[in-house]
Amino acid sequence: MTLPILPTTVIGSYSMPSWLEHAKNDFLQRRVSRHDLDEMYDSARKAAIKDQETAGIDIVTDGELQRDNMIDYFAERIPGVQIDHSSKRFYYDYYESTVRSKLASGSLGLAGEVKFLRRYTDHPIKVAISGPHTLVKRIQNLHYPSEEAFALDLARVMNLELKELARLGATYLQIDEPYYSGFPEDLPWAIRAVNTMVEGVDAKLVLHVCYGNRYGKPSWEGTYRYLFPTILDAKVHLISLEFARRGDEDLQLFNEFKVPFAVGLGVVDVKTTEVESATLVADRIRRALKVLPADRLVITPDCGCVHLPRDVAFEKLCAMVEGTRQVRKELG
Amino acid sequence: MGTLPGVIDHVGLDPQAAAGLHVDLDWLPYRSNFRDPVIARRAIDAQGHPLAHGEIAIDLAQVDQARFEAQVTEALRSLRAGSTNQDPAYVRLDQEFKPLRESVIWQFNRLFWQRLNEWQSASGRGSEAVPGETSDANNPQSIEDNVADFWTLLRDLDARGQLPAEIFALEIGVGTGERAAAWLDRFKELDEQCGGLYYSRLRFLLGDYSPATLEAALAAVHRHAPIVAVLSLDALNPFKTLSFLRFKILYIHLTNVYDNLPFDEMVRRGEGLYLVEVRPYLDAAAVQRLTTEHARDAEQLTDTMKRLLEGGPEAVHQDRAKGVAFWRCLWHALRLEERLRAVDPAESDHLPSGLSRSYLEDLLAGAPADARFQLSRGAAESFANTVPLLHPRGFLQVQDVFVTAMDAYRQEFSGPGKVDGSIVSSVNGALLRAVASRAGFDVHFAPFRYRAGSRTSVLYTTPRD
Repeated sequence: MTLPILPTTVIGSYSMPSWLEHAKNDFLQRRVSRHDLDEMYDSARKAAIKDQETAGIDIVTDGELQRDNMIDYFAERIPGVQIDHSSKRFYYDYYESTVRSKLASGSLGLAGEVKFLRRYTDHPIKVAISGPHTLVKRIQNLHYPSEEAFALDLARVMNLELKELARLGATYLQIDEPYYSGFPEDLPWAIRAVNTMVEGVDAKLVLHVCYGNRYGKPSWEGTYRYLFPTILDAKVHLISLEFARRGDEDLQLFNEFKVPFAVGLGVVDVKTTEVESATLVADRIRRALKVLPADRLVITPDCGCVHLPRDVAFEKLCAMVEGTRQVRKELG
Repeated sequence: MGTLPGVIDHVGLDPQAAAGLHVDLDWLPYRSNFRDPVIARRAIDAQGHPLAHGEIAIDLAQVDQARFEAQVTEALRSLRAGSTNQDPAYVRLDQEFKPLRESVIWQFNRLFWQRLNEWQSASGRGSEAVPGETSDANNPQSIEDNVADFWTLLRDLDARGQLPAEIFALEIGVGTGERAAAWLDRFKELDEQCGGLYYSRLRFLLGDYSPATLEAALAAVHRHAPIVAVLSLDALNPFKTLSFLRFKILYIHLTNVYDNLPFDEMVRRGEGLYLVEVRPYLDAAAVQRLTTEHARDAEQLTDTMKRLLEGGPEAVHQDRAKGVAFWRCLWHALRLEERLRAVDPAESDHLPSGLSRSYLEDLLAGAPADARFQLSRGAAESFANTVPLLHPRGFLQVQDVFVTAMDAYRQEFSGPGKVDGSIVSSVNGALLRAVASRAGFDVHFAPFRYRAGSRTSVLYTTPRD
C-alpha cells in the first residue's frame, strides 16, 4: 500500500473500553483467567484496527489495549527486571519494578504484535515501544552506576528486539519518550540511548516526544525549545510532537533549525472530549505547511487515545482524516 | 442496655425481627442535629419491599435516662410489622423518603447562605455565626507558610524555564475575602523581599456562587485590584466556568466548601449495603411551639416551609424579622426520620455522576463490615471538576474536616449536624483519595498544626505518576 502525501497515523494507543478495564482489574484480583483476558485483548485489538481503517487512518497500530500502561508492559518483559506483582490493584498503576543486575540479552516477546497486525490489516503498521529514558525513570536501578548507563544497556537489549520486529515486517517503529519534557537536562544521553536502540534497524523510525498523557493530563508544560539542537543528532526518520493542545508556536523552531527528519504533527487534542472539526484540523495543517513541506509531514493526534471514550476517539480520527484530505486536495 | 431484652419482649417484636435487630450507639458531637435521642430504622430491599433487618440508634449524648425506656419502647414499636409509626401530633414535612442528597435540608442550607445577613441580624452574633469564619482559614501563620510553599514552587518552575507568563491562582468559596486579602498581602510582601519576580504576573481569581459575597470579597482585596478578578461559579463544577484555564492554574484553595455540598449516607451491615433515605418531620413539642409562638396552623406547616424555602422569610411573614424567627425555629426543630434501602450491587444510581462502581468497591475494600459513612458526592464531584484546571505542577489545597480512612467511621459520628442555619458534616477523605487516584492525583491529609485541638485537616494534591 502506497502512502499518500500527508499520511495519517495514530500515536499508538486507542480508546480503552471500560469493560476491558474491569477485566484487567479482575485479572489482578485473580477473578479472570489469563486465557480469557487474552481473548478479550484480541477482540478489542481487532476492533481498534477496524476503527482506524474505517476512519481512514493510513498507518495503523493494534491500539495497545493489551498494555496496562507504558511502563509495566515492557518492564515485565525485559530480562533482568524484577516485578513485585502484589504492588498494584488498579491495572493502570505502575508495578514496583527493580533492576538488580546487568540486563540479559533476550527477546521481549513483542513479535506477536507485528504478527497480529500483519494478520488483520493490509495497511502499513506501526508498533510503539517505550524508550530507554522513560523506562529508566520508572524502574528502580540498584545495579548500574548511573541512569545513563542503565539506559544505554536497556537500549542495547531493545535494539535486538527492534531488529526482530523490523524483520517480521513492522513498517514503522516508534520510540515513546514523554519524560524528556520533565528532564531536559538528560537529553544528551537520552538521545545517545535512542541512537543505540535504533542502530541497524531496518524500518521507518519514529521518536514521539510529548508532555505526558498519564491519566489524560500533561505531566509538564513548557516549550519544545529544550529539544534543540540536541534532537538533531537523533538517528530517526520522524519526530512526532504535540501541537493541538499546546498551540503551534513551537513550529517556528523548524524555521530556526533545519531538521534532518520529518515531523509528526499533532493536530488533535487527546486530553479533551471535544471533537475538533475537519476544518480546524485542516487549518492546523496549513499553518504547519508554512514552515515545513508536505512531504516532511505526517498527521497524528497529539498522543495516544487511551483516555478518550471510544466514540470520541473515533470521531476525532475521522475529523483528522477528513481535515487532512481537504489539504491534500488543495495540494493537488 | 440491660433494659433492651425486656423491652423487646414487652413490645412483642416478632422473633425474626428481634434476631435481626441492630443497635447503634452513637455520641453526636453536634448539640443541634437532625435526630431524636432514640430512633428506629426499617430496611427495605431495592424494590421497596420490607426486609427483616431493623435498627434502633441511640444518641448517648442526648439520651435522658428517665425517658430512655419509653423512648426505646416507642422506637421498637415502630419497627413492628404494620406499625403506623410515630405520635399523631408529629408533622411530616414530606411524605416521601428520599436519599439525603435530595432532602429539604439542602434547601435550608442554601437559604442560610443566601440570607446570611438576616440570620446574623437575628442571632446578634455578627460574623461569628458564619462557620467558615470560625474556622482556621484565616490563621496568619498558616497563610504565611502556604504563601512560602507557593512562592518556592514558582521559583523552582522558573529555574527550569517552565513558569508560565501568567501565574493563575484560584480561591473557591471566598467568604468575606479576608483570607484572600491576607494571602495576597503576604505574597506581595514575600515577593518584594525576594526581588519582585512574580507578584505582577499573578492573576488571582475569586470564585463563588453568590454575587453579593463576591462583591464583598472584592472590596476586601481592593489593595490588589489590578491582579484580582471575581467569577461567579458553581463549586460543584468550576471547570464549566473556567475551562479556558484547563491545566493552567498553579494553586487552588477551598475552605469549608466541601462539607457544605450535598452528600448521601450509606450503611454497610455485613454483606448488605444500604442507602440511607430520610423524611423530615417535626415532633409534637416543635409543632406546639410553631403553632403557638408563630401563629401557624399545624396543617399548614409544610406549605409554609415551602414558601419560606422558595421566597425567603418575607414570604411567610410581612414582618421580615418575624419571618426570620419562624425560619430559625423551624430549622432548629427539623428532624429526619431514617430508612435503609438495600443497594443492588449492579445499580449505580446512588453514585455521583462520573464515578463508577469501582470507586465504591475501592472504598469498601478498606471499610469495616459494620459502618455508616458519608458518600460525599458533592465534594467528589467538585474535586473531579476542579483538578482538570491544575497546571501539571500545580496543587489543590482544601481546609475542611475529613474522615481520612473508612475504618474511622466506626469510631465517631461524622454528621450531619447543624451549625447555625447550615449543615455540618465531615467529608469522606477516603472517597476523595479513590477519586483522585483515578484522576491522576494523590491526596494527602495533614493535621492543621497551627491551633491546638483543631479538627481541621488540610488536603493537598500531588501529581500521581
